[in-house]
Amino acid sequence: MKVAFLSESPADEAVLRVLVDAILGEPAQITPAGFRARGWPNVLQVLPAVIRHLHFNTDVETLVVTCDSDDSPVHTEAHEAPQYYHPHCRMCQLRAVFRQTSKRFPIAHGRLKVRRVVGVAVPALEAWLLCGRDSDVSEGAWINGQLAGRPPYTRAELKFRIYQTERPSLPHEIECALRETERHRRDLRRLEYDFPGFAALMKDLKSPA
Amino acid sequence: MNRVQGVDVIDTVVFHNFKALRNTSLRLSLFNLVIGPNGSGKTSLIQALQQLRTLSQFPLGDAAMQSRSGGPEIAFTFTAPYSGIVARLGCTSDVLCDFLHVDCLDTASWLEVKCRLATLRTYVLDHDAMAQSSVRADSAVLESNGGNLAAVLAARQHEAPLAFARMEAELLRLLPEFTGIVIEDDSGGRVRFSLGIDGAGEPVRAENLSQGALYLLGLLVLSFDPTPPAVVCIEEIDRGVHPRMLREVRDVLYRLSYPESFGEKREPVQVITTTHSPYMLDQFRDHPDEVVITQKLGHEARFERLSDRLDLPELLREGTLGDMWFSGVLGGVPEQQ
Repeated sequence: MKVAFLSESPADEAVLRVLVDAILGEPAQITPAGFRARGWPNVLQVLPAVIRHLHFNTDVETLVVTCDSDDSPVHTEAHEAPQYYHPHCRMCQLRAVFRQTSKRFPIAHGRLKVRRVVGVAVPALEAWLLCGRDSDVSEGAWINGQLAGRPPYTRAELKFRIYQTERPSLPHEIECALRETERHRRDLRRLEYDFPGFAALMKDLKSPA
Repeated sequence: MNRVQGVDVIDTVVFHNFKALRNTSLRLSLFNLVIGPNGSGKTSLIQALQQLRTLSQFPLGDAAMQSRSGGPEIAFTFTAPYSGIVARLGCTSDVLCDFLHVDCLDTASWLEVKCRLATLRTYVLDHDAMAQSSVRADSAVLESNGGNLAAVLAARQHEAPLAFARMEAELLRLLPEFTGIVIEDDSGGRVRFSLGIDGAGEPVRAENLSQGALYLLGLLVLSFDPTPPAVVCIEEIDRGVHPRMLREVRDVLYRLSYPESFGEKREPVQVITTTHSPYMLDQFRDHPDEVVITQKLGHEARFERLSDRLDLPELLREGTLGDMWFSGVLGGVPEQQ
C-alpha cells in the first residue's frame, strides 16, 4: 500500500510510520517527504491541497492524517451517527474536509479517491505513547476530566513524562517516541481500546479502498 | 518565566527616552525571542546590553550622572544574588549612552556582575565574513559577525576535541549531505575550512557553502562552546534556514539556555534573540513566556510578554502563533500609513 502522511512534526510521523506498518502487518510504501502542518488549525488549512495533490499528481493510495485534540471536544460514539457533524470536533472536521474535497474528483491514477485515514490523539500524541505504561492516561480519563472541569493532566505534563524535559531536542523526542511505540507495535490492542481516536485510524486503514 | 536558581542573569531593562523606547521595561527570562516590526526597539535592546557590557569594564565614574536631565536613560537590574544592584546608562544625546552609574552597596557583588557581563556577546552573523579565512591566532571568541569562524573552529578542534566532535556530529545530522569539517592552513598564518561532501567530490570550501549552512555552523559553534558566555544576543536567527529546520535552530539555541535538557552539565546561558519569521514563532507555542513582542505606535515602542495575553489559549484554537502574529492579532506588526 502506498501511504502518505500529514502530521504536525517529524516525531509524530516517525511514530505513525511504525503504527501503520503494525496495523497493516507489513511495511507500507511511504512517500519520501511527509506532509507537514504547523499545528491546528493549519492541518485543516493544508489538507484540501494535500488531498488534491495526492489524487491528481501521485499514485498514493492512502493519506494518513493525525493531529492532537488539545482541549477541543473529543470525538465520541454519538458523532458517528449518520449525518452528524460536530463543528468543533477535530475528527469530524478532518473527515468533512476529506469528504468535501474528494466528492467530485474524477478517476485519476486508477482510483476514485485517496483513502482517508484519520486519527486524533487525545489530548496529544504523547498520551498514545504513555498508553500501557501509565494507567492514568487514557481517552476516557481525559473525557472525564473535561466533564469535571479538571483535566487529569496537561499536554506539558505528558511530554515531560515521556521526554523527562519540557524542551526535548528533536532526536531525543524521536528516540523516546519510538521506544514507547515499540511496545504498541508488538500489540496494538491496548492502544486501540484506551484510545478510540487511534481505533478510528485503525478502522480507516483496514477498510476497503 | 524561566529562571534558574543561583544563575546570575540580567533581570530587567528599563528604557526612558531612548530612541523609540520612550518609556518601557522588559523583564528578561532565561530565553527570550523578541519579535516586532522594523524600528520597534529589538536591536536597541541588544545595543543597550552591548553598551552595558562595554561600559561595565571601565572603572566606575563619578556618582553623579552626567546625562542630561530628562534625557535618555537605560537602567538594568540583575537576578539574585545581585538583585540589589542597579546599573544605569546615561546618555549625552538621544542615541549615545556613554556613562554608566551603578547603585550598589556591595562592591564585591558588582565586580562579580562585571565579570559576568564581560562575557556578554552579541551577534549579527554575516555569511560573507564567516566564509573568509582568518588569522589562526584570532580564535578567542567568535566575532560579532562570525568573521573568525575558521580560526575558532581550528582552535576548538585542537583545544576541545570532544566538544568539537559533538558539534560536528550535530552539524552532520542537520546537514546530512556533508561528511565532516575540514580545516586547512592558508597562507600568512591564516586558516580556512571546508565541509566534506558525501561521495567522491572535493570538500566544499566555505565560500561555496550556502548561507544557511554557514549560519547553522555559526550557531552550533556558539551552542557547543565549552566555556559559553553568561549572555548571548543573536539577531535574526531564522536567516537562510528552511522553515522545516527552524525547530532545529530553536533547539540549537535551547542547548545554550537549558543545558540539562541536552545532557550537559554547565550553567545556563541567557539568550536574547530576534526573528521576523512567523514559522520560527510557531516553535514557541508551548513556551509563550519566552516570547517578547515589541509594539510600535507612532514613534513610541514598548515591550510585551506573549504569555501576558490572557486570551492566548483561545487564539491558538483559531490559528498558529505565526498566523496570529502576521494577522496583527498579537500586535508587533508594521503600522499602515
